Amino acid sequence: MATFTPLTQRPKEHPTPDDKQVFYTSNVLRLFAEDLERRQDPQILDIGPICGENIAFLSRRVKRLCVCDMFLRIDRDRRKGLSPAQVWRHLDYPPQSFDGILIWELADRLEEREARRLAELCYTLIKPEGKVVMFVPAGHSVQQAVSAFVIGDGFRLTLRPQPHLDLPLRKSQNRNVLGLMAPLKSVKSFIYRNGLREFLFKHD
Amino acid sequence: MLKKTKSENNVTDPTPHPVSSTGKTIIGRQVTIEGGIQGSEDLVIEGTVRGSIELGKFHLTVGPKGKLEAKIRAGNVTVSGQLKGNINALERVDITKDADFNGEIKAKRISVEDGAYLKAAIEVERASKKTVEPMGKTNDSFASPPGKDPISMVREEDKRK
Repeated sequence: MATFTPLTQRPKEHPTPDDKQVFYTSNVLRLFAEDLERRQDPQILDIGPICGENIAFLSRRVKRLCVCDMFLRIDRDRRKGLSPAQVWRHLDYPPQSFDGILIWELADRLEEREARRLAELCYTLIKPEGKVVMFVPAGHSVQQAVSAFVIGDGFRLTLRPQPHLDLPLRKSQNRNVLGLMAPLKSVKSFIYRNGLREFLFKHD
Repeated sequence: MLKKTKSENNVTDPTPHPVSSTGKTIIGRQVTIEGGIQGSEDLVIEGTVRGSIELGKFHLTVGPKGKLEAKIRAGNVTVSGQLKGNINALERVDITKDADFNGEIKAKRISVEDGAYLKAAIEVERASKKTVEPMGKTNDSFASPPGKDPISMVREEDKRK
């Protein structure tokens, strides 16, 4: 059974900006944004970790941005002792609501059963031809902690640790990722030198 | 008919009210209001409000202990407490890390601190439609299927060297 640090023992402050700041240019995010440009009044869902920069970036490119920070909700439910399966009640949107969904690295923070449930929900909530963005962090220490992928100019992503979140990282092989998201079709995938992987899926 | 005494004339507004010298009203922690609030000055809510709040161009602050179920129209809105409902702001909405917000937000600008407990549908004034730069050949040549020709991830500290 996974363990987690009590909230009182977690660091309260975020690391200083220069503390091992990691960044790179995201190809998947650029493709995702290009796809949004082609759509009429797109509506997208970001399931977190929510950060102000991403809300500002995304909300100016879509008609409607829905945000539901599932990282915080999973963390809070665990501390309350609720079953992991209950957390999906928060994603109570009507079917085919979204042109795009950003699940970032959430799937790798879940037990396989819950990760499959997340994939099923994405399939239900996304419109036909809609896109899903998924990241898979490497096992490096800097990526073990939950990070927000903060979107900057030119689709440069900076990993900003979220010390208030304590969700264990489960390593996935590419075949596991593709199998997990099976109802969705893989459009593009990229791997970076430090092992971080990005995937773009679409609903056929 | 009653004549006003001299002492009464000196008092401009004899009724006590929670307006500070800076021109804002504070609804304290022990106060619960059900119904509509309309105002023409800044409002800080530390108590409980259920209903609607209309402040025109003025600033609404939901303090850390504030609990609202409300439909809000204001110039600017800052949320640090619990808020369930809709915000329609003329300018900006700020959600702090202590906030617990569930609802819809319409504003020109929005800022959200890391750690805010947020479930929201957000509509902001959209940027003029400009085409996203297509992926250049240089960039594309870096892209590869997983496991082949990886591209670099740079650390800030490496960049400074």
